[in-house]
Amino acid sequence: MNFLVALTAIPLTSVVLSLTKLKVEQLRVVIPMLTWLQLVILTFLSWPALLSNTSVLTFSVDFSIDKIGACFLLLTNFIAASSITHSAWFFANEKLLGRGEEPQHEKLFYVACALFVTAMSFVFLTDNLGLLWVSIEATTLFSAALVYFSRDKHSLEATWKYLIVCSVGIAFALLGIILIFASSQHGAIPGGSMSIRLLVEHAKELQPKLLQLGYIFCLLGFGTKAGVFPLHTWLPDAHSEAPAPASALLSGALLNCALFAICQVTAILKVSEHALLATSLPVIWGALTALAASFFLIHQFGIKRLWAYSSVENVGIMLFAIGLGSAPLFFFQALNHSLAKVALFLLSGNIIQSAGTKDLSHIRGILQVSPSWGITFAAAAAAVTGMPPFGGFVAEWMILSQCENLTQGIAAGVLLFALALSFIAVSLHVGRILWGKPKHQTVVHPTFASTIIPLLLCIFSLLAGITCLPMFFLNQP
Amino acid sequence: MTITATEICVLTAALLACLMVGSLHLRVNLWLYSLSTLCIAAATATSALEHSEMGPIFIAILIALLKSVAIPKFFSWAIDKLHVQRDLGAMVTPPLAMHAAILLFALSFILTKEIPSPAGSVNGWFGAAGGISLVFTGLLLMLTRRLAISQIFGFLVIENGIYIFALTQTNGMPLIVEMGVLLDVLVGVMVSGLLLFKIQKSFEHIDVAQLTQLKEY
Amino acid sequence: MTSLYHWIFFLLSVALLPVLVLGTIRKTKARLQNRIGPPLWQPFYDLVKLAHKGETLSLTMCGVFRLSSIVVFADILVLAWLTPWLCFKPWAPEANIFMLVYLFALARMFTLLGSLDSGSAFGAFSASREATLGLLVEPAVLLALVALGIFFGSSDLRVIFSLSSVSTFVSSAIWIAAGLAIFFSSLVELSRMPVDDPTTHLELTMIHEAMILEASGRNLALIEFAHALKMCILFGLASQCFLRAIPQFSTFNIYAQAGLNIAGLLGLAMFVGLLESLTVKLQWRKVPEFIAYILSLSLIASFTAIGIGAIK
Repeated sequence: MNFLVALTAIPLTSVVLSLTKLKVEQLRVVIPMLTWLQLVILTFLSWPALLSNTSVLTFSVDFSIDKIGACFLLLTNFIAASSITHSAWFFANEKLLGRGEEPQHEKLFYVACALFVTAMSFVFLTDNLGLLWVSIEATTLFSAALVYFSRDKHSLEATWKYLIVCSVGIAFALLGIILIFASSQHGAIPGGSMSIRLLVEHAKELQPKLLQLGYIFCLLGFGTKAGVFPLHTWLPDAHSEAPAPASALLSGALLNCALFAICQVTAILKVSEHALLATSLPVIWGALTALAASFFLIHQFGIKRLWAYSSVENVGIMLFAIGLGSAPLFFFQALNHSLAKVALFLLSGNIIQSAGTKDLSHIRGILQVSPSWGITFAAAAAAVTGMPPFGGFVAEWMILSQCENLTQGIAAGVLLFALALSFIAVSLHVGRILWGKPKHQTVVHPTFASTIIPLLLCIFSLLAGITCLPMFFLNQP
Repeated sequence: MTITATEICVLTAALLACLMVGSLHLRVNLWLYSLSTLCIAAATATSALEHSEMGPIFIAILIALLKSVAIPKFFSWAIDKLHVQRDLGAMVTPPLAMHAAILLFALSFILTKEIPSPAGSVNGWFGAAGGISLVFTGLLLMLTRRLAISQIFGFLVIENGIYIFALTQTNGMPLIVEMGVLLDVLVGVMVSGLLLFKIQKSFEHIDVAQLTQLKEY
Repeated sequence: MTSLYHWIFFLLSVALLPVLVLGTIRKTKARLQNRIGPPLWQPFYDLVKLAHKGETLSLTMCGVFRLSSIVVFADILVLAWLTPWLCFKPWAPEANIFMLVYLFALARMFTLLGSLDSGSAFGAFSASREATLGLLVEPAVLLALVALGIFFGSSDLRVIFSLSSVSTFVSSAIWIAAGLAIFFSSLVELSRMPVDDPTTHLELTMIHEAMILEASGRNLALIEFAHALKMCILFGLASQCFLRAIPQFSTFNIYAQAGLNIAGLLGLAMFVGLLESLTVKLQWRKVPEFIAYILSLSLIASFTAIGIGAIK
């Protein structure tokens, strides 16, 4: 009970504060402070789980957390805190531009953010497959409000697509979860269970047919939410139409949630006698997703769509890591991707505000407009494509070196090709953005304050790469 | 070969959903959806009586009240407000789509034949087939319709199918999960229902086929 | 001795029921329009009147026109003998489903030939419409009958409609689906209301009436009677199907069965009267859709039958 209070007290406070008559300017200070406070509280709560390698911290019947879960929980909340802090500058600039004149919209943004982040935290905290599904569906509903922020035709279309595609996809995941639940009722556990830990313990006794079918449906359903290749259609639209801090949240936190759900289900199947499905299917699918996304990267017209497809590519890499059965590697890749991608989305938000367009062909000479933006942008882009000093390189290197059999080897080849292709594509686009002559009048004067958060994130990513600290922490050579 | 009352309700629900595909009139669709959901509530109640449990009766009443009365009422109100009567239909004409739905209904019997029956029960074949058929029908409904409101109907039918699958293939889902799912579906439907009005206001139509501004290239 | 009684009852029904059914439809429509309407036997007087009238034939006609009405009449009589549309029927040879469907098609073909032979433009285009409808509705009827055939494991309607067959929930469902399919496709086959308005006077929209526009006198009487008898057969078949859906029907005694049978037939006629008062004629382009709905009923029936067969 204490744990539930600790988890929900601060978000509820933010919601209540946002709905009161407080001025937006005051909220911009209070809400970020509250989210950082939430991060501290969660660190304190999950500290025992972080320290031990094996034990599981149980809060109540359906809620418990292990080391990987705790890492993800803190990462998500860290990303959320950074994005919301940055949004204070973002919205202040919007006001300067004469947009976002309705303070009501911004207040609703904070409400939706608080609920969205709480729903995402529950994904990592729950031990029950059913509640996991409920949390993920809740994230869809709350983040739809974020995507709809600008309330124009484009955002409406993006929201509609997002809501319908993800709801239908997630419905299939529910079907998969039901099948897994049904598989546990064939003698493995009396009365059946949805507890992931119990299912992993009894994985060998689960009804194999139902389990495999359920796994495939779960992969399909949560894959839709994560944006794997043929089902990614909602992702670029939603990411590009949401305001920059919300795009950062969607890309840096939400995709991790869906992939974490896949990871949990894969963990069950991996222990059972039909591990082949769990080791080959995500690997192949992940490689194909990365490949398809890197093709989409070549011809792009929107700056945020570019990063959205880069996210799809990274989802492919993470799915690959899940298929290899290495949760720490999956976390490491997710960490690097989240840090770099959030920095990129936040900076892109600044650039869009300054240039007044999302069109890649009109954004030129950012280095000339603001050197601090340009350098951070270049660093973040390097991090996201997996350049050596950054964490992404280490993670991708380790993922590729973990392949064991022929299938995985071939898939790794495809993945490598995709990585190279996306590296070239992103470098070309970033080069055009950075150099050249600015094509536009600078409306918003770039302030160093708006670079602080992206810069910090880049530095973290760099540290993660140089020291490999996270991997040592997770006891992975 | 006997057929239980639950299975009769499930198959009736699946067939009623197949008829939904055949009509473009939104109100007819709503009525059929309401009836089909009522059958599902009845299936919940009869299966509870077969197992002599009282918990699911509560769920059955909730489904009957919320999904077969409240949601159709809401959408009927929305239809009045949006001034739409008929969908335009996409890809194939509704009767052909209905034939496809019935074919898929038959196909789902073949597809689900291999699914092991739930523990402690003689067979769950018909239930599984009914559930999968509802999922197919919902997808078909989403594919062959153009209006945003019909897409929501399709989603609701899929949701019904999954519920039926859970009802017949497991020996009772945990109550808290069931409530969570129901709540999520309700909120989702309300959110998308409200979005409908926004779409109508911005675009002056709710035709999804014309929402193509965000296409690649 | 019983067989003699059967023959007498059967011949009486063949002679009287068509008139009665036609009269019932007209009476229902009249009452629904707040008119008293013609007496029930009015169609009989009409036929007698027609039989006394002289006949006008177009100069371009060859013999096919006269021949067609006779062939159609004979064909429908044979159908009345073969099809189990009444409970009390004398002995008849095997009523194969496919044979019956194609005997109906034969009647349609000769009607078409007759209307083409008359050389009028109306006859030609109504013939084309009738051919289209026939093409579309044939699978629906056939599939409905085949569904029954699959379920009872025979293509002989005598076996299918024999009273010894057991009645369960599933068989009731199949009977009802098949009965509905037969009833609605009979509306298409007979050119009744949602498809064609039999009382219309606008030649451009007519289907059946335009085909017999050139017929007069005794020839017309023959065609009218054959058409009414065809209606009886189809409605009788449908009502038989509905009655078989009643679980205990096979345990009723023969008089109750016969009574219910005729009551069902007349009930369907009244329903048609109601339908013709309430609905409007469908747009011609919408008719295929209407038939498609009928087809889906037959599909449901046949899939259920196949499914049950697979389980057995």
